[in-house]
Amino acid sequence: MFRRGLFSRAFRWIVAISLLALTSSLLAQKAVPAGVNADLPAGPMQAKATTACLECHEARIILQQRLSKGAWTKEVDKMTKWGAVVDPADRDALIEYLSANFGPEKPPYQPQKTAASIR
Amino acid sequence: MNRISMNSRRAFLKQISGAAMVAGMAPSILTWARAQEQVIPFPNEDGMILRSFRFIDLESPVEYFNSFLTPVPRFFVRNHMHEPSELDAAAWRLEVGGEVEKPLTLSLAELSKLGTHSVINTLECAGNGRSLQRPQVPGIQWGKGAVGTARFSGPRLGDVLQRAGVKPTGKHVMFRGRDEVPGKVPPFIRSIPIEKALDGDTLIATHMNGSPLTKHHGFPARALVPGWIGAASCKWLTEIKVLDAEFVGNFMSPGYRFPNHPVNPGDAVKPEDTHPLTALTVKSVIAGPSDGASLKAHQIVVHGTAWAGEADIAKVEISTDGGIHWNAAKLGHDQAHYAWRLWSYDWEPVKAGDYTIQSRATDSAGRVQPATPVWNPSGYLYNAIDEVKVHVS
Repeated sequence: MFRRGLFSRAFRWIVAISLLALTSSLLAQKAVPAGVNADLPAGPMQAKATTACLECHEARIILQQRLSKGAWTKEVDKMTKWGAVVDPADRDALIEYLSANFGPEKPPYQPQKTAASIR
Repeated sequence: MNRISMNSRRAFLKQISGAAMVAGMAPSILTWARAQEQVIPFPNEDGMILRSFRFIDLESPVEYFNSFLTPVPRFFVRNHMHEPSELDAAAWRLEVGGEVEKPLTLSLAELSKLGTHSVINTLECAGNGRSLQRPQVPGIQWGKGAVGTARFSGPRLGDVLQRAGVKPTGKHVMFRGRDEVPGKVPPFIRSIPIEKALDGDTLIATHMNGSPLTKHHGFPARALVPGWIGAASCKWLTEIKVLDAEFVGNFMSPGYRFPNHPVNPGDAVKPEDTHPLTALTVKSVIAGPSDGASLKAHQIVVHGTAWAGEADIAKVEISTDGGIHWNAAKLGHDQAHYAWRLWSYDWEPVKAGDYTIQSRATDSAGRVQPATPVWNPSGYLYNAIDEVKVHVS
């Protein structure tokens, strides 16, 4: 009896602490719902690509493309003309990063869905 | 996903929401639980394929194409830019100017006094089906669902233009919306020829399926250019300008143009060998059975929808033997000039096995869906014969 009471009290504390930790970590993310933001893949150009591209649009627009290096070159140059901040010294590396991660040979992109609202 | 895991997941969500309410932290816990399902919370949108969150681009799963009118929460959303951060119906004004005798400024109340006309229109993004092009081309990688049908209502654009008095020099009509443009991106402005603008079915739509437009669909007013590519129907309309020539801007050229002659997949096309996209082409999509489905023999209902822009659907045919034999599908009774036709075909497979079901539409202008996609550098107007692969046991 005593042992069971102790166990359930400890269990309740563990649950409460985990819920608190989870909530505070979620609140720390600028109140953006979890799962909404997608990231660009890791690599030497990840940070610069994030700054250059995701200022105007989100990562999914890039993640879903499957383009040749020639097509990525045109996209990078078009977007630079449209305001993407790309240091000329970084242009080739950015094209390389996008072509390596999002080339025609990569498996198809799997999109997410929005939650159901009609029952 | 089977029914049991779905139910237990719902039960889990229900339990966790109860616990969260007690702890006073419902929203974040629920959001977290939903993210675990790889589903993104999105108010007033119903199970849509998320192509982009910022800007918002949402696609309907083809399984939704089983009703003549598409409910607004299941209607695709295409944005080129950020949606307007502020939309005040009371402060909204529509400017009508350019090559007109008497420029106008209309409030929403004044606009609503100019009569209401309704058009049931199938709206399709010019890039619908882009992801199926080979080689792949840049742009939102739409599957088959950037299309939907709704009843759009509002005053005729022609009546508004008549009030302003179009001068003989007026040849094109330009629309400007309130999209918010990031960086140095050119604004989303396009124009349509005066003949289409004065057509009795071209509207300044304020309503969709009987309700005021929602924000994602252009509240409080949008152009509705029936039978034409979605990009012609500018959302969050604030300015209509009559021009003496086609508008010059990125979304007229190089955007939304089609090669004058067939090109080999992957080839570059010179700008002077292209023309602006206008009306949609002939197309059908299979809504069911779903691609990859396992079916029991007996009667299988193959069903879907077909549309042809400004033309009418003449017939839809189904093949289950790789295109050797084609059988007529039954067309649904609901029809309207610019709207799709639902269709169905009762199929009785004679033996078990793997099948490819194909659908092919023909329109009143004699156009037929091609067996291979008509490739072009931006992947517009994909309309190859549709197909799904199924297993019959």
